[in-house]
Amino acid sequence: MTEKMRDPREVMREEMFMRDKVLAALREGPKTVPEIAEAVGFPVHEVMYWVMAARKYGYIKESAQPNDEDYYQYSLVEQEQESEP
Amino acid sequence: MSKECDVFIVGGGAAGMESALTLGDMGYSVMLAEKEPSIGGKMILLSKVFPTLDCASCIATPKMAATYHHPQVTTLVHTEVQDIRKTERGTFRVRLRRKPTYVKFDQCTGCQKCELACTVAIPDQFNFDLVARRAAYIPFPQAVPKKAVIERHGTSPCSFSCPAGIKAHGYVSLIRSGLFEEAMELILEDVPIPGVLGRACYAPCETECCRGELEGAVPIRQLKRFAADHYYERYPEPRHGPPEQKQAGSVAVVGSGPAGLSAAYHLARQGYQVTVFEAEDEPGGMLRYAIPAYRVPNEVLDRDIKNVTALGVKIVTGRRIERLSELKNEGFDAIFLACGTAADRKMGVPGEDLEGVFGSLEFLGRVNRGEKLDLSGKIVLVVGGGNVAIDSARSARRLGAKRVIIQYRRSRPEMPALDWEIEAAEEEGVEFQYLKAPTRFIGRDGKLAEVESIAMELGEPDESGRRRPMPIAGSETTMPVDVVVTAIGLVPATGFLEGEVETEGNGRIRVDETTLQSATPGVFAGGDVVTGPSSIVGALAQGKRAAHYIARYLRGEDLGEDAFDVRLPMVDKAEVLARQQTYTTLPALGRKERPPEARVGDFEETEIPLSESEARESARRCLDCGGCSECHQCISACPAEAIDLTGGGGEEEIEAGSVVMATGYRLFDPVDKVQYGYGRHPNVITAMQMDRLLAPTRPFNTVLRPSDGKVPDNIAYILCTGSRDCQVNNELCSRVCCMYTIKQAQLVMGALPLADITIYSIDIRAFGKGFEEFYQQAKAMGVYFINGSRVAKVEPGENGNLIVHYENVAGDGKVTKAEHDLVVLSVGLLPNLEALSLFSGDGLEADAHNYVREVDEDHSPGRTSIEGVYVAGSAAAAMDIPDTIVHAGAAAALAAAHVEKVKR
Ligand SMILES: Cc1cc2nc3c(=O)[nH]c(=O)nc-3n(C[C@H](O)[C@H](O)[C@H](O)COP(=O)(O)OP(=O)(O)OC[C@H]3O[C@@H](n4cnc5c(N)ncnc54)[C@H](O)[C@@H]3O)c2cc1C
Ligand code: SF4
Ligand code: SF4
Repeated sequence: MTEKMRDPREVMREEMFMRDKVLAALREGPKTVPEIAEAVGFPVHEVMYWVMAARKYGYIKESAQPNDEDYYQYSLVEQEQESEP
Repeated sequence: MSKECDVFIVGGGAAGMESALTLGDMGYSVMLAEKEPSIGGKMILLSKVFPTLDCASCIATPKMAATYHHPQVTTLVHTEVQDIRKTERGTFRVRLRRKPTYVKFDQCTGCQKCELACTVAIPDQFNFDLVARRAAYIPFPQAVPKKAVIERHGTSPCSFSCPAGIKAHGYVSLIRSGLFEEAMELILEDVPIPGVLGRACYAPCETECCRGELEGAVPIRQLKRFAADHYYERYPEPRHGPPEQKQAGSVAVVGSGPAGLSAAYHLARQGYQVTVFEAEDEPGGMLRYAIPAYRVPNEVLDRDIKNVTALGVKIVTGRRIERLSELKNEGFDAIFLACGTAADRKMGVPGEDLEGVFGSLEFLGRVNRGEKLDLSGKIVLVVGGGNVAIDSARSARRLGAKRVIIQYRRSRPEMPALDWEIEAAEEEGVEFQYLKAPTRFIGRDGKLAEVESIAMELGEPDESGRRRPMPIAGSETTMPVDVVVTAIGLVPATGFLEGEVETEGNGRIRVDETTLQSATPGVFAGGDVVTGPSSIVGALAQGKRAAHYIARYLRGEDLGEDAFDVRLPMVDKAEVLARQQTYTTLPALGRKERPPEARVGDFEETEIPLSESEARESARRCLDCGGCSECHQCISACPAEAIDLTGGGGEEEIEAGSVVMATGYRLFDPVDKVQYGYGRHPNVITAMQMDRLLAPTRPFNTVLRPSDGKVPDNIAYILCTGSRDCQVNNELCSRVCCMYTIKQAQLVMGALPLADITIYSIDIRAFGKGFEEFYQQAKAMGVYFINGSRVAKVEPGENGNLIVHYENVAGDGKVTKAEHDLVVLSVGLLPNLEALSLFSGDGLEADAHNYVREVDEDHSPGRTSIEGVYVAGSAAAAMDIPDTIVHAGAAAALAAAHVEKVKR
């Protein structure tokens, strides 16, 4: 964690580029943020931004409880059927 | 006309809302301006309030609603006060800027669909950058009013520099999101021929691209090609048909190059009947008969043209228009002349009519028609330095010429052809002779055999700014050649228009620059026939512009009155680059062509397209210069049709009897306290961020470490960060940090019962009602206080943990180290300096600490140095919510008294 952190603005900007990759990693099953980071090959603190944004906008949800290492797992939200309001 | 009110309130936080409600209930007319898109200030962002632990939003939300809906209170959000000036009558003139929201508030229902669809992610200031929001956003779930706004700083440089108005940034951001079809459909809003443009556009967007100031521009043109190829693979036929709504009026377009196609496309999209007349056997103009197939294959052009014909546009080929009266007799209501530059400029040297000497259009035309010109073993000389010369030379190589030589009368830096085109020609073995020009073509038996050329030197710059070439007397040389192609410029062939339309000496049609209407009403012209040789995208732009004004002409509207280009001004590039403090170097991919040996053997396309992953990787490099990218996803998503990217907003003036300044405080930025590591270690956060993590509308699912999403179990608080600290030039106590920290400690213990909490403090100041009990309660819960300590520094430890080095001043005085997995900085409150700069004339006085000065703090809090102006809440000094409410009430009473006094 000693390397220089990227500008959060830049990291967040890349959410649109990374979202598919994050969601693809979760298609294999629920994962913690470090596990997602491992799967997509980006630093964990950057992946945190993309995971939390994906959660904020309803693409993924957290497990009810954290695991034994104190990490929540995140899984895909089943896409609702497109229904006309 | 200026509006009036009794009291004008600046700021819509706890204080501003309280003053507004009090004054409104008394019956005064109140106006409240808030610069953010929602009222509520910082209070609405808090978790709970101390010491009662009541939910902050449960208290704030009803006040926000009451303020917004109060019949006596007009609330203006997203509004900046520019200037306040006291009048001679003792009233105040307030100048406001209503910032454009780009969303029609009266139509927006707050459904958030635009935000969900938006393709631009920006740090969420209402979550203190812990998570992203979108360029289109509703500030937070309890926002009042609950309306979306769009963040736009101006038009992004790429989109602004596109003559045809293509939303370059928009399609780049769509491709970044993987929305390839949407990208293509966005491009099709502005131009019909993305396949051609994606290959042969000169891409002024890339020249302007801000990323070009870093390690290289975003490959915007190639991304367009990617979107077009991807789309055409899936849709060999256009997905659109003719528009349902037809308009009365038919238009004849003369010429099917990009200008003609563009005008026809945009007119047909509006429902007009369009017929295009083309002299050649097939449509496309230069795109088909000049630009060689190795740059733009005919299949791509054909598919592009289908976008036009699918709208019901008729293209009549093989018909050369000889007189405009023909078209008038056929009943057309308007005519658009887009006949391009059909002739080569003559060199005017002896021997130009010898067999073997071609004009570039003739030469390229024959090649493009598939005529088998065999140049094997021949020596070809091309004269000129533009793209046409390069195209001719590279085509000659492909026809087997032994040597191809380009003679250009200036030197390489002056050459108008693009660098990469020159390089590609060099790679293919084309030879360049600079500072040289033919003086004579020498024939044998009527056939070209030799060329005599003269050397040049560069003299003074001419009108074009380039240095004028001057022949060096006596430097003539000759060499044998088999074929010469002259490519020294193209001119319109508009002789046929004589007597019907006014032209210039050089054959160009004279038109009004804005409307493109010629001196003959109803006859418009555009593209190269007006501008002289320009570019595909320049011609498309003219066609689009002409369509706009032709439609107005057909509707009988005044042509002068309507602005065609409604783009925002270009965003300030220096601002964009300043925003980009640190960035990862992501080198541009660059263009790739097939190897020269392979490509000179055929007319197959030379450029290698971007793969899907290269396209997204390239789009990732975009800096989102203008904020919103104009991708138009929100427009498609909004069920209320509330999005209006052209803006709104504007300036207003209000006359008020009295002013209440409720501009609040700003938070200390702990980046200035370097030794605490904020901004360098993700697990050092501010208490404001922690309050967000504890609030019901939190950015994460619970309190988590930003470094890795772990639930923290050993949290440290550092009190007085930026308060009581001469090092950062703030000796004041911020009055709230001790208590909000204890509040958070109690809330964290509730949320994470197993967590240890340590609070490093000089001392704890628990002065208010119930505060001491609150403090004792926290201690009893097991919160660990190290009072009398000073934290020297915070350093990174293992696994994202942090080592806090602190001096126990009250204890043994030694420096001790402790490890924590999250460090929260209890940041102090600072005066909001903006408040002071708003007044012109006699300024508003500041106190010694730069808060608004209360001239009579002891007897009449809220009174400022200007009679009639009062200060409410933390604009006067750091204070908590209950004190703010009391203070705002006092300011309201003073303002009311002033209004009454002036009335009498
Ligand atoms: C070799 C070459 C390479 C180029 N490369 C590029 C490039 O890579 N990128 C770029 O941006 N620009 C390039 N250009 C420039 C670009 O092609 C022109 O700027 C653009 O085509 C101009 O469009 P236009 O519609 O005005 O004219 P044109 O494309 O010339 O179209 C005019 C059409 O009108 C028809 N016409 C003329 N008179 C009549 C009549 N009386 N009745 C009926 N039909 C008529 C013509 O046959 C022609 O089809 C290149 C030009 C050349 C010559
Ligand atoms: S146009 Fe695109 S980028 Fe701009 S606000 Fe709408 S969705 Fe977002
Ligand atoms: S960085 Fe993006 S928005 Fe800015 S000019 Fe380049 S492509 Fe356009």
